[in-house]
Amino acid sequence: MPVAGESVVSIVDGPLGPHVPGPAEAGAGAALLFEGIVRGDEAGRPIEALDYEVYEPMASRELGLLIGELLGGEGILAIRAWHSRGRVPVGAVSFRLLVASVHRKEGLRAMDAFIDRMKRDVPIWKRAVVAGA
Amino acid sequence: MEPVQKESAGSSAAPTRDVVVRLFGPAADALGAPSVTVAVPLGSLQTGAGEVTCGALRKALLREVPALRPFVETGRIAVSHAFARDARRILPDEEVALIAMVGGG
Repeated sequence: MPVAGESVVSIVDGPLGPHVPGPAEAGAGAALLFEGIVRGDEAGRPIEALDYEVYEPMASRELGLLIGELLGGEGILAIRAWHSRGRVPVGAVSFRLLVASVHRKEGLRAMDAFIDRMKRDVPIWKRAVVAGA
Repeated sequence: MEPVQKESAGSSAAPTRDVVVRLFGPAADALGAPSVTVAVPLGSLQTGAGEVTCGALRKALLREVPALRPFVETGRIAVSHAFARDARRILPDEEVALIAMVGGG
């Protein structure tokens, strides 16, 4: 989880590198990690990558607002999000979400709510790079 | 892609202000451009004389840019990097974007 002053939102060019766990959040009984991986097909067509378009600084702002809102929920101790910008090949990670919570259930709910809201509100778009194109 | 400028088909006597709207994703693909400029009617004495609102911009986009209709109808306007309601006034130096059909994650 982030140290004091570290941003809770990161937009990263290209695929996300391997996750390096940090120190456990004080009081956390659950540390949940979600990674979004680029699949090999989009709408039934084989693809070789996704190109992510990110409208900054609005995307970071909306992700930050979403984190702030969910941190107000009971038992949610920390949230951290990373999202790719640009090309991410099949099999690579384009999104990562960390949630630390007192108990498992509220952490899983917050994680689910975050992803649903992100897909609805955060100005990030993806375009499929068709295999062989 | 080159920006697109749309001429108003309305009354030539009605005062307007050109607003540049940034486009992304499917909306940009539909128009074949990263932005579109539309002439938006200025508000009346009742609605804000001399001012442009998001609601007026939305109507101008629906009227002047048919290719963007589905995105305007389902999307939201952002002003200065924040979602804005129809009543929000758009200052001349503010950045405006049409946010539609997002799909991150």
